[in-house]
Amino acid sequence: MKLITKHNFFYIVCVSFTLITTGKLLLEKIDGFTDRYYSENIFTILVISILGTLVLATHYYLRRFPFIPVFIGQYLVTIGIVCLAIWIGQKFTDFAPSAYKDMIISVTIPFVIGAIVYYVAFFREIKKANKLLENMNH
Amino acid sequence: MKLIKTKDESLKENFLELHYNIIDAETTAVLNRLKSSFGYIEGTIGERKTTVALSDIFYFETVDRKTFAYTDEACVEVREALRDIIDNHAEAGFIRVSKSCVVNIYKVKKLEGDMNMRVIIYLKNDEKLIMNRSYRDEFYEALKKLQGGSGR
Repeated sequence: MKLITKHNFFYIVCVSFTLITTGKLLLEKIDGFTDRYYSENIFTILVISILGTLVLATHYYLRRFPFIPVFIGQYLVTIGIVCLAIWIGQKFTDFAPSAYKDMIISVTIPFVIGAIVYYVAFFREIKKANKLLENMNH
Repeated sequence: MKLIKTKDESLKENFLELHYNIIDAETTAVLNRLKSSFGYIEGTIGERKTTVALSDIFYFETVDRKTFAYTDEACVEVREALRDIIDNHAEAGFIRVSKSCVVNIYKVKKLEGDMNMRVIIYLKNDEKLIMNRSYRDEFYEALKKLQGGSGR
């Protein structure tokens, strides 16, 4: 089933952006941390929300290909776009010295969590299907 | 309408027998549902024409634009395309698992996943088929739909 369509794409981006920004602000409030790169990070969150939604949207079209090459390909393309965005951004504004490292970590963590959730759901679905087959066969 | 199940371990093949006075609407509905499962399909083995019971077919496969039905003992070339088989015989448990393959869900023994998220289908005749990721949802839906039905 196609979950992300051109009709709901921007709604999903907006919801993701709001949730990530709220989380960021909440963590900063708890820690008493002041973000010196506030506006840059807000735009970064927007870019991440768009990229994340794009990656999930392309998943439907890539289902006929084996998962591991698709996953690695999507990860590398995302990292590439993020690094390119930082490189371009640095021409116009200041970024934290650790911007590349921070962004690679920020992209890698959701990818790894996503892959784990996907694998767990996949094998759980098979287990459930096997139970149904067992019931049908006996 | 009553359903009486009798276990007889000496039987070589399961059978259904209908005892009736008049065939009412309820019985007709049950018979109609059974009709799809007891259908036949025509095909050829070499030059010889033959008829195969749908319930004997493990899977259909397209090779070089020709469709073949595989039973436990034979490989029969049939006229229908895979799309027609899905359209006409989905009720009998046939479901698409890849671009070139339609499997009889009642002949599936178990499923196993691989690291590439493909599902390996083990059939009751110990053959293996690969289900593509894009057909997974459809397969699980069909399986859930058939869950209410008894085994064959």
